[in-house]
Amino acid sequence: MTAQAVSRKKHGVSWGQVFVNVTLILLVLIWTIPTIGLLISSFRTRFDIQTSGWWTVFPHRDWVTVEEFQPGPEVDRDGVMNLAGAQGTFEEFRAGITLPDGRRVLWIGNKRIGRVAVQERQWVMNTNFTLENYQEVLGGKTFEVKQPDGSTITVQGSDFSSAFINSLIVTLPATVIPILIAAFAAYGFAWMKFPGRRLLFTMVVALLVVPLQIALVPILKDYVRLNLNGTFLGIWLAHTGFGLPLATYLLFNYISSLPRDILESAFIDGASHFTIFTRLILPLSVPALASFAIFQFLWVWNDYLVALIFIGASPDSQVLTQRIAEMVGSRGNDWHLLTAGAFVSMLLPLIVFFSLQRFFVRGLLAGSVKG
Amino acid sequence: MKRQLFVLFSLLLAAALVLTACPGAQPAAPAQPAAPQQPAQPAAPAAANPKADAAAAKGLTELANAYKGMYKGTVVTMTGPFTDEDAVRFDNSVKEFEQETGIDIQYTGSKEFEASITVRVQAGDVPDIVDFPQPGLLGTFARQGKVIPAATLVPESWLKQNYLQSWLDMATMPGADGKPAMYGVWHRFNAKSLVWYPKDNFDAAGYKIPTTWDELLALQDEIVADGDTPWCIGIESGAATGWPATDWTEDLMLRTTSVENYDKWVAGELPFSSPEVKRAIETFAKIWNDDRMVYGGRAKIVTTFFGDAPTPMFEDPPKCWLHRQGNFITAFFPQGVQYGKDYGVFYLPPVDPAYGKPFLVAGDIMAAFRDRPEIRAVMQFFSTGEGIKGWLAAGGALGMQKDVDLAWYGSDLERDIAALVNQATAVRFDASDLMPGEVGAGSFWREMTSYFSGAVDLDTALAEIDKSWPR
Repeated sequence: MTAQAVSRKKHGVSWGQVFVNVTLILLVLIWTIPTIGLLISSFRTRFDIQTSGWWTVFPHRDWVTVEEFQPGPEVDRDGVMNLAGAQGTFEEFRAGITLPDGRRVLWIGNKRIGRVAVQERQWVMNTNFTLENYQEVLGGKTFEVKQPDGSTITVQGSDFSSAFINSLIVTLPATVIPILIAAFAAYGFAWMKFPGRRLLFTMVVALLVVPLQIALVPILKDYVRLNLNGTFLGIWLAHTGFGLPLATYLLFNYISSLPRDILESAFIDGASHFTIFTRLILPLSVPALASFAIFQFLWVWNDYLVALIFIGASPDSQVLTQRIAEMVGSRGNDWHLLTAGAFVSMLLPLIVFFSLQRFFVRGLLAGSVKG
Repeated sequence: MKRQLFVLFSLLLAAALVLTACPGAQPAAPAQPAAPQQPAQPAAPAAANPKADAAAAKGLTELANAYKGMYKGTVVTMTGPFTDEDAVRFDNSVKEFEQETGIDIQYTGSKEFEASITVRVQAGDVPDIVDFPQPGLLGTFARQGKVIPAATLVPESWLKQNYLQSWLDMATMPGADGKPAMYGVWHRFNAKSLVWYPKDNFDAAGYKIPTTWDELLALQDEIVADGDTPWCIGIESGAATGWPATDWTEDLMLRTTSVENYDKWVAGELPFSSPEVKRAIETFAKIWNDDRMVYGGRAKIVTTFFGDAPTPMFEDPPKCWLHRQGNFITAFFPQGVQYGKDYGVFYLPPVDPAYGKPFLVAGDIMAAFRDRPEIRAVMQFFSTGEGIKGWLAAGGALGMQKDVDLAWYGSDLERDIAALVNQATAVRFDASDLMPGEVGAGSFWREMTSYFSGAVDLDTALAEIDKSWPR
């Protein structure tokens, strides 16, 4: 054992470390390749996306036509032909005949209107980039609508800005409200003694497994009666309700693991529950709060169903996910805009994640090791 | 670090409060009724109002009243599946009506229309008028007694006068009492029995448009002999994969058997495993299952997105020469291609002359969930050619109302398609949209996909569809 350890020291790096690092790099590459492809595609035109892969933007070797001509009617297309120094039947020309110098002769098209191309292998890259997708996504599409009298008017479709703001209006309170309530509740469950505490907590945990879809119709019925349907207050409450069980459970795990001594000394000094909560619990549970905030923020930001049901899809109130879904057109004919739309909608969650990620890992581990 | 977080936290809260205070925070509150618009005529005297008189002459009382300005300031809410460009075109088509009557039509489209409308009807949160792309879904709500019968909104005599009987039959479905009644007014339709081809190249190659099935088969062989593949076919469409195959089935059903059998098949009286249905599918499966006939070969059919399928037709020179699809497919064609130059369209030829020249269509039916005078006026408006005129000019719709003038179409393409439909001996609606959801939007798509992917044979697939029919 010691001899091995010494030899490892000599080499500087152990093979195990190399293996781990290489595997990690490979995994990271595999995970990010689709995103890179998406990013590149978002700068390409629809026809390009349809007819060639995004990887063709990198330098690669491909056949490039150097000479092209229309074979005359005298060429016998059903027999053996002599074209550009190559000899063969139609089928052979369609597949491409390679000349001794490395070039190939290719028949493009059918026998009637086809043409013959002489091609060479060259290093090429596809650099036909466009900002049009982002323009249409950010600035809205323009539609030309012909009028019955023959004139044409241009209508500007709705852009991302209003949907972005709507998403913010929905997401921020729908993140903050459940965290506040859940923090209070978690403190209560963890540190206050009252009858029925266990039963209540069991109920909260049991609610974790209730899928939100089954609650849509009953809640919508109540909202219609209360006139809350279609208001932002309605969707905040809905998201709060759907998010609370998990929030309470996560925060309870963290808050209940805080050292008892701190709280006891606070009690002895005469602090009330509220003082303890605001002065001790909240500051101490920042990692847990932050990690749940990320969870809830991403969930609400990416939510489509709840927003569709409770605030509807009208252009003034629709959220980002609805706008993206709508952007592709009634029949999905503008799907190429999804690439750019996805990147725009990713921006804010990325900012939130990177600014809070320091707490994230700590928050996930929080409560896992008690002591 | 803690302080930073508190700052962040309070910033978030502050931002939330500020945003909430924004005027946009009350989306569903009914928007202010559009300010009274009086564009040209300041005091619109009742006597000089030709549109009101015309409506009154047709027996459309509420529509006449609307043109007289009696419902000024009222709001009619609508929802439907069309969004984006189609929504802009719809808004454009009702703009003039809104200005002349002062009725504000508030349309909100939703991509997940089928899912959301079911939830909203159950919860009692329905708009006044709903646009259904599938009469089957409307039938569900009609049976629950939630829909106002069309005859109470629009005089039946006028509907009979302005629509072909087959359209009225397709709007007739059993209500809550089990008695059949009309539950909607047809608004626009798509023509489906169409074959697209690259016109300039097609003419240059010397091919001729086939008018019979045998000519079509001969054309196919000719294209193959010239070294190309005739058809571009793709049926991938996410969760709805397989629907183009059902359209082919329906088109061939109409061409290989009588319309009576087609109607029985739609109603579930003629099973999928019957020889009629099997023959229809086999007729086109001969093309689909032949690697030489389909661009990319048979295996590509199931994995090609239906919208991408026609793209190879527009490469130079074309990689395929024929594509059968409804008129909405033009939205997927590459930008800048022109009708009459880059592409043309012809009617999918009949197989057996005994069954005439049937046309397969799909369309949108408007159904009202409430009864108010202004809603009646809007429904009556949709039942007239005027109600679709603006959309016809903008493109993307065909009108089935009899008083639609071919000159109203904004593009030659749609005018030509409308003329093709007018020549049809029978018009039948897309069967999968009429069948119960479990079949029409489920097993029919799924089993056709399984069959053409080679997973099961035709008899098994058809038996599976029959099994899934709700009894």
